[in-house]
Amino acid sequence: MKHRMNILGRRMWDARYIYLLLVPGILYFAIFHYGPMGGLILAFKKFNARLGILGSPWVGLDNFRRIFSTPAALLAIRNTFVINLSRLVFEFPAPIILALLINEMRGRHVKRIYQTVYTFPHFLSWVVVSTILTNFLSNGGAVNTIIVQLGGERTNFLANEAIFRPLLYATHIWKEMGWNAIIYMAAIAGIDPSLYEAATVDGANRMQQAWHISLPGILPTIVVLFILTVGRLMNAGFEQIFYLQNAAVKQVSDILDTYIYDITFKATPSYGFSTAVGMFKSVVNLVLLLIANKLVKTVSGTGLMN
Amino acid sequence: MTTAKAPAEGRPKKKKLTSGDIVVFVILTFVMLIIFFPFYNAVVISFETSRAYSLYPVSLIPMEWSLANYDYLIQNGQIWTGYQNTIFITVIGTIYGMTISVMTAYAFSRPAFPGKKLLFALMMFTMLFSGGMVPTYLQLKTLGLVNSRFAIILLVGVSTYNIIIFKSGFEQTPPSLSEAAKIDGANELVIFFHIMLPLQSALLATFTLFTAVTYWNEWFWSMLMINSSNKMTLQTVLRSIVAEASADADIASGEAGLDVFSQGVKMASVFMVMAPIMCFYPFLQKYFVKGVLVGSVKM
Repeated sequence: MKHRMNILGRRMWDARYIYLLLVPGILYFAIFHYGPMGGLILAFKKFNARLGILGSPWVGLDNFRRIFSTPAALLAIRNTFVINLSRLVFEFPAPIILALLINEMRGRHVKRIYQTVYTFPHFLSWVVVSTILTNFLSNGGAVNTIIVQLGGERTNFLANEAIFRPLLYATHIWKEMGWNAIIYMAAIAGIDPSLYEAATVDGANRMQQAWHISLPGILPTIVVLFILTVGRLMNAGFEQIFYLQNAAVKQVSDILDTYIYDITFKATPSYGFSTAVGMFKSVVNLVLLLIANKLVKTVSGTGLMN
Repeated sequence: MTTAKAPAEGRPKKKKLTSGDIVVFVILTFVMLIIFFPFYNAVVISFETSRAYSLYPVSLIPMEWSLANYDYLIQNGQIWTGYQNTIFITVIGTIYGMTISVMTAYAFSRPAFPGKKLLFALMMFTMLFSGGMVPTYLQLKTLGLVNSRFAIILLVGVSTYNIIIFKSGFEQTPPSLSEAAKIDGANELVIFFHIMLPLQSALLATFTLFTAVTYWNEWFWSMLMINSSNKMTLQTVLRSIVAEASADADIASGEAGLDVFSQGVKMASVFMVMAPIMCFYPFLQKYFVKGVLVGSVKM
């Protein structure tokens, strides 16, 4: 026993510089990740600032029961699922289509300029983008001016319940499509050129080549990214909704994150309840990620996280 | 994930321009204009006079040039405070975030040492599960970081995803190099600083840019944690300008005699916030692209 301890001690001493390098990282994760995770016990307590997190009284699952008896919370849960599933349907294919089109484009210089424009919005925050888009889509903005010029009627896009969700998808595509296309373009570039040559000899036109060669060629990439996206389903779009949202469309756009923000930082906070809502979200997210990882393993043989 | 090569033409070039080429070109040009035009429109509005804007909300060039909106912003001064704080947070934060990420990644790239598996698993778990908004806020509060720029600096810049990518980078360095150095009597720290870091400098430079952009664009924790106006970041300054623009613009045009209007002030402040990214982005684009490709290969 003593001998084994000595060997362990010896190995640890040998690795002393490695531990030294790890100290800041361990501190960071302990303080900013595991600390808050420990704070999740608040979900089972009634927070009392005077008593602190540890001293506050336990209330069992009361906070979680409250989620399911609070209409606004239930609405947020529903909206989170509806919006993010729709994102999957509408937003996910956009960069694939763009990548296939860019691949068909002639002229390297034009291509490069276009790509600079396509990817640029990704590097701006939603604060900037939403300010521009709010102006652009407002009653007196560019879009409505053009619509009126063409003989149409003014629409307040951002305050219209029927339009707001599609607008979320459209503006998200607008901002991120170009950036997300990069991975697909790299995948297309990795396809064996002789496949295209053979197809040309066989008389396949470009639509047929894109459909029968490019698309199957990037299918593995599509599958992996699709599953990754599923794993992020609960997290998508807080920033965007936070800044584009307004009172008129709250019913259709309030998601769990905006709901947590509102009840915690705008009203008299009930930290225990807020934490419970957040924990509900994290747990659902974890389950989705594990399912997604399982799927990747079955599809590609290796998991995203081992 | 995929075998990404340097972007090359997918197929041999054909000389003749076909109708298919034209269709593709038209579609892509249309998409490009849709992405470009809102930005362009915003910049044009920021240089308009209020009269011209109310007459022609959409124009390709300002109908009446005016710098009043910018004059107002510069006199107001908030935006400079924002710049100072954002630059401060970005510089210190990027150094902090990269240092921790690189050190952690290098340690995990080394051959087995006692506790490696457990520590790595604990780090990976943070990608799957988090305490969430409220416990994190309370933790920052407990640490006394309310109204401190260090709340943002300390919290934002370390990313598990980046650490994993750096780790793979270090692992791909031929082991013979570090072994040779070890025989020469170099310890892990010497190997780290003198061999591994220089070999990975391209990768690290790319991710330094990503980290810097993350700090530059950070808004949520700045909004939550910072409450005194002299510590506000660019993003939160922009937000408050947008929220108060209409009232302030009326006051400014009344008192200072400036021809400002709320949409103009908003667009001018947007332009001032995104100008640095606009200037640098075209030159840095290829590094960003390289970064995302490296990431997709190494994950």
